[in-house]
Amino acid sequence: MSAALDKVTAPDTEEGVAEAVRAALAAREPLAVEGRGTKRAMLRPVQAARTLSTRALTGITLYRPTELVISARAGTPVAEIEAALAEKNQMLIAEPPDLRALFGAEEGATLGGVVGANLSGPRRITGGAMRDHVLGIRAVSGEGEVFRSGGRVLKNVTGLDLCKLLTGAYGTLGVLTEVTLKVQPAGEATGTLAVRVPDLAEGIAVLSAALSSPFGVSGAALLPEGHAPLGLDGPVALVRIEDFAESVTYRLGRLRAALSCFGEVSMLEGAPSRAAWRAVRDAVPLGAAPEGAVWRISVAPSRAPGVCAALREAFPARLLLDWGGGLVWVSGPATAEAHAAVMAAAAVAGGTFTLFRAPEALSAAVAVLPEEPAPLAAIGGRVKSVLDPAGILNPGRMRAGA
Amino acid sequence: MQTTFTAEQLRDPDTAEANKILRTCVHCGMCTATCPTFLLLGDELDSPRGRIYLIKDMLENGRAATELEARHVDRCLSCLSCMTTCPSGVHYMHLVDHARRHIEETYRRPWPERALRSVLARVLPRPGLFRLSLRAAALARPLARLIPGRGTTAQRLRAMLTLAPAALPPRSPMQEAPLHPAEGTRRGRVALLTGCAQKVLDPTINEATIRLLTRMGIEVVVPRGQGCCGALTHHMGQHDPAMAAARANLQAWGAEIEGQGLDAIVINASGCGTTVKDYGFMFRDEPEAALAAKISELAMDVTEVLDRFGYRPSREAPGLTVAYHSACSLQHGQKITALPKELLKRAGFAVKEPAEPHICCGSAGTYNLLQPGIAQALRARKLENMARLDADLVAAGNIGCITQLSGDALPVVHTVELLDWMAGGPKPAKLSA
Amino acid sequence: MGPALSRVALADGEAQGHFDPMIRLPPPKPEILARRDGILADLGRLLPEDAVIGEAIRLRPYETDGLSAYRQMPLAVTLPRTTEEVAAVLRYCHANGIRVVPRGAGTSLSGGALPLEDAVVIGLMRMNRILEVNYDDRFAVVEAGVTNIGITKAVEGDGFFYAPDPSSQLACMIGGNVMMNSGGAHCLKYGVTANNLLGLTFVTIEGEVVRIGGQHLDAAGYDWLGLITGSEGQLGMVTEVTVRILRSPEGARAMLAAFSSVEVAGQAVDAIIGAGVIPVALEFMDKPCIHACEAFAHAGYPLDAEAVLIIEVEGSLAEQDMLLNRIKEICDRFEPISMKLAESAEQSLAIWKGRKGAFGAVGRISPDYLCMDGTIPTGELPHVLKRIGEMSAHYGLGVANVFHAGDGNLHPLIMFDANDAESFRKAEAFGADILRLCVEVGGCLTGEHGVGVEKRDLMVAQFTPRELALQRAVKSAFDPGWLLNPAKVFPLEGNEALAA
Ligand SMILES: Cc1cc2nc3c(=O)[nH]c(=O)nc-3n(C[C@H](O)[C@H](O)[C@H](O)COP(=O)(O)OP(=O)(O)OC[C@H]3O[C@@H](n4cnc5c(N)ncnc54)[C@H](O)[C@@H]3O)c2cc1C
Ligand SMILES: Cc1cc2nc3c(=O)[nH]c(=O)nc-3n(C[C@H](O)[C@H](O)[C@H](O)COP(=O)(O)OP(=O)(O)OC[C@H]3O[C@@H](n4cnc5c(N)ncnc54)[C@H](O)[C@@H]3O)c2cc1C
Ligand code: SF4
Ligand code: SF4
Repeated sequence: MSAALDKVTAPDTEEGVAEAVRAALAAREPLAVEGRGTKRAMLRPVQAARTLSTRALTGITLYRPTELVISARAGTPVAEIEAALAEKNQMLIAEPPDLRALFGAEEGATLGGVVGANLSGPRRITGGAMRDHVLGIRAVSGEGEVFRSGGRVLKNVTGLDLCKLLTGAYGTLGVLTEVTLKVQPAGEATGTLAVRVPDLAEGIAVLSAALSSPFGVSGAALLPEGHAPLGLDGPVALVRIEDFAESVTYRLGRLRAALSCFGEVSMLEGAPSRAAWRAVRDAVPLGAAPEGAVWRISVAPSRAPGVCAALREAFPARLLLDWGGGLVWVSGPATAEAHAAVMAAAAVAGGTFTLFRAPEALSAAVAVLPEEPAPLAAIGGRVKSVLDPAGILNPGRMRAGA
Repeated sequence: MQTTFTAEQLRDPDTAEANKILRTCVHCGMCTATCPTFLLLGDELDSPRGRIYLIKDMLENGRAATELEARHVDRCLSCLSCMTTCPSGVHYMHLVDHARRHIEETYRRPWPERALRSVLARVLPRPGLFRLSLRAAALARPLARLIPGRGTTAQRLRAMLTLAPAALPPRSPMQEAPLHPAEGTRRGRVALLTGCAQKVLDPTINEATIRLLTRMGIEVVVPRGQGCCGALTHHMGQHDPAMAAARANLQAWGAEIEGQGLDAIVINASGCGTTVKDYGFMFRDEPEAALAAKISELAMDVTEVLDRFGYRPSREAPGLTVAYHSACSLQHGQKITALPKELLKRAGFAVKEPAEPHICCGSAGTYNLLQPGIAQALRARKLENMARLDADLVAAGNIGCITQLSGDALPVVHTVELLDWMAGGPKPAKLSA
Repeated sequence: MGPALSRVALADGEAQGHFDPMIRLPPPKPEILARRDGILADLGRLLPEDAVIGEAIRLRPYETDGLSAYRQMPLAVTLPRTTEEVAAVLRYCHANGIRVVPRGAGTSLSGGALPLEDAVVIGLMRMNRILEVNYDDRFAVVEAGVTNIGITKAVEGDGFFYAPDPSSQLACMIGGNVMMNSGGAHCLKYGVTANNLLGLTFVTIEGEVVRIGGQHLDAAGYDWLGLITGSEGQLGMVTEVTVRILRSPEGARAMLAAFSSVEVAGQAVDAIIGAGVIPVALEFMDKPCIHACEAFAHAGYPLDAEAVLIIEVEGSLAEQDMLLNRIKEICDRFEPISMKLAESAEQSLAIWKGRKGAFGAVGRISPDYLCMDGTIPTGELPHVLKRIGEMSAHYGLGVANVFHAGDGNLHPLIMFDANDAESFRKAEAFGADILRLCVEVGGCLTGEHGVGVEKRDLMVAQFTPRELALQRAVKSAFDPGWLLNPAKVFPLEGNEALAA
């Protein structure tokens, strides 16, 4: 990795990105692709001689609030986009997290980074993932060729949707140079209900009841013991409503009544509510130790308590549940044993996992994502060689040798 | 949709009519999913759109029908669910009637089938003969299980024997009487089509109709010379016998109209109602065209007449829940959907409707005899949906459905029997059992 | 077409100017046509007797789909009942180099399910079972042949629904929806098919069965689910689908606002969204459409209006009132000709009645119509409608426009007479002009109906040759032999995989 630091290219035009890729291709030298390069140690380490950063490729290129679309170059800081949206009372629907604290980084994420990693926050549960809102992309292939997919309109089924393929591909299939996203009006008001629960299973039941209500819940998380807001100890289920003020008041009232059978329900409104969800979004309550490992497990919510129990049995796991219980954040010792326990728990529950943050010693040695079935892996190999025939983009980022 | 009829072909008025219908179909496929046979068989060929296309191809090419066209058109229940669904107003009924006739005229079915069809066409519309054969069937009924084989013929024989009631109701002198004067002041005068098979299978339906109407101040005539509406043979593609039956009715009712006049022709078997309401079309190129159109206008389902003359119950609400089965001929053929339920509620019943109310119960005239496999599957599906309702009884407005759905957990009666009961008539016998 | 399949000749000299608007298809493989009987016999061994169709008479109804202007008889039709049977047919076809065309309900409006002469159609309408409904985790697992409405019907008794609601929902099947990434009137709020899926059972052309996704969100690794959704049967077949089900809202109500010009109606839409109100549905109809619908449905649409908006909101009664009043206040600023707020569910239905029957209504005033499906940036609507009006005059064909105003999806219904060759050709050219216009103003060729065969040759208007080559190569990664639904989506030109 350290070699890459010496040779960072940060072009400020798309053509510059294409040239950089072509140069690497000509030299047969792999490229580490990144936004602001603050989190190189995530997933698997990339063995690359050079680094191509999109950090200089910045700027919002189109924003039409009444058409609900925004386009920006890939290196544009997410914070800048959020600020522009906020001016028009709009927001990024998927609520991407700001993980500076978790990763000890100073700079914030770029648009290319959150799209490349398909990062979504609490609103994912009802609002959709990052990938659901990517309307169009411009990207540079591993052959140094610029290509587009999608467009700038909300509904588009023209041709194969390569946007989906590149979203969440961690820069292994192309370097994003520009992304167009669907955005939405931000709720005028927000409020949160907090229910203290005896255990995780009961907490999931609260979230499930809330998500099965007709009240348009936009966040459903379960905080572990000792990290509750309001000084509540023990696991706490959090449920969020965002909408026009009248609606928020009405729905909180109805939901509160509906959830009262689970125990005492307290209410957070305005700023404290926002703060609670920012913490959930950024995985703050996980309280991950800097030297440890962080995993994310995605399962059907009703399977989450089983997953958590298995993990706690295997190692001193710290947990945070989001997405109605379907997303389990886990932190624990960066050991192969702990990783094996995560893999096993996810598999038993029919879910999937990501080794999200770990020292290289661990991430280079294990599968950081689940194995794919052989036919898919074969197709994946062929798709990779279509978009990056020489295999120079982020080699080894997602899987060893790929 | 594009058609390729030649000018020569289009000179034939029936072909021209078929072309007109085919041209309104845009081949969107909306109708497929509400077709009972498509639901069961999952083949475009057993869907309305597929049948329309088969028929189009057969007619355009002016070719004789084969076993293949006959197979898929025969499976059609003529339930007309597709017509309710079609957003473009395609008149499937007229198209399939035309196709059935074409098949009947150009395709020679294997002999067991020919024999069966000709027996049904001859027996069912004639109450005397029908009663005799039911007696025989009742005797043979215990043998049904013994008929060997899984072939169509064996299945059909078993179906016939199973559907035949074990004991026949006695003849009803009431439905044979030519005139039933109104009680109190006469508010109207109607003719009642007493039907053919229904008369034999369940005379109480006509009795309840007559009692209820006369009690409401309506004179009911049962004109001499009326008989089967023609639907039974019409649906088998037998054009001439169907027209002859209809013609006899035209004459009988025409005489009444000329005489003391009629406010309505009341029909309490909705299958017949659909056909009588179509006489205007059937006779459009015949000398009786004007009379037929007039009669189609006068034809009314019994519920329509009851509503028009302001049906009111006189008994206390019975505290019963009725599962209302919407007969296809009523809901799709005549587009009468809400009225029977509304009348039942007015009479004091709680009314529930099963899931998939638009799907046929499999009776469809002679269908349950000719296509026993599909008919049985549809019956089971309907009964299963009925069972979920937790109702006390089932009501339907068509004798075919009543026969088809009887013999399961719940008693099945005609809507008019319940309405009569609540307005002072006797409690239907089936409910006391 | 092979001799066994040729049409019975018409009576002598009676060609009548009938024409076959044949779409250009890749040349059939002669060796496959020659082996037709053997292939039918083999398929008959793989599947139950009633699952293989080979007679010309019975193949005829399978020669087309919802776009009946294009027709082509297939080699055979198969109707498997299980994933294993689908896999067996694919394995056989792959081993023998036989092309396949997947088919759901055949309601595609772009000719997506149009057969090829040397292809085996694999119809999934028999796979119509609901396999699992799970309310705790809010998903349902259904076979590909379950209709869209069938999913909602299965869960509505418990207060849930499946959100994407294409107007064809009564008939179209979830497998077809996945492959077309179908949308519906309510997708402004709830998203399209892609946004409501969790997993698929996917069968590759080699006949391998793989599970993609599952009962959880966001599978790790490449987003196969996203790529396959909307791929129009190019990548493999789908036999089971896991969809998210949602709790139904407390209630919904519609309003209608009529305006004196298209521009003003467009400004009203902008103002509504600008004010942060996202209705569940926001539908626009132009004057010809209003007239067609009114004649058919008698829904009380104002005939003097140039544009009508139908706006639906959801929530409790009080919330509906609050939202409708907000919208009404906004509309008031644009001097509407008339406004009607539904007071009840029945009144809402009445307002929707005309719009829901729009296609049928146009089908009643014109023997045939072509339904276009471009998307445009919503701000371009006035300009686009003006240009479409000019084109209509130029081609001498009527057109009625329905527009999903919230998301820019425009459905011009071009009226023509399919029995008149000239009229059909004009309609095709008119349609192509409209779609090119959509791309020109920053939109795309298709918002929800897919490219199919219909828009295949227009793809060059939206993508560069290299971009098309890249997409083709991605297809090749799944289907190296181009056996899966070939001749769709991609222009035939420059496609060596399909050359003779
Ligand atoms: C496997 C993995 C999972 C992660 N999960 C989360 C999470 O759940 N929540 C969270 O907050 N953060 C997560 N992160 C961190 C996330 O990448 C950063 O929050 C965010 O991407 C920071 O932006 P950046 O510009 O620093 O990205 P980088 O760290 O520079 O890049 C992140 C990934 O995106 C790719 N990428 C960056 N720019 C482009 C581009 N222009 N075109 C194509 N690919 C590009 C990179 O190659 C890299 O794989 C994850 C990172 C990885 C690698
Ligand atoms: C009146 C009408 C209204 C419509 N309204 C809308 C609308 O509002 N929104 C909308 O989005 N669409 C609409 N459509 C278009 C159409 O209904 C959709 O495209 C629908 O998703 C097609 O589903 P289907 O089951 O009929 O698929 P088909 O038409 O049979 O097939 C569609 C495509 O998918 C492929 N395919 C089908 N099943 C599978 C499978 N299991 N595996 C692999 N490939 C498969 C076929 O090869 C074909 O390419 C409408 C159509 C009509 C006729
Ligand atoms: S009449 Fe009934 S069975 Fe016949 S095609 Fe129509 S819906 Fe199907
Ligand atoms: S619904 Fe009507 S127009 Fe559509 S295919 Fe069926 S009959 Fe034809």
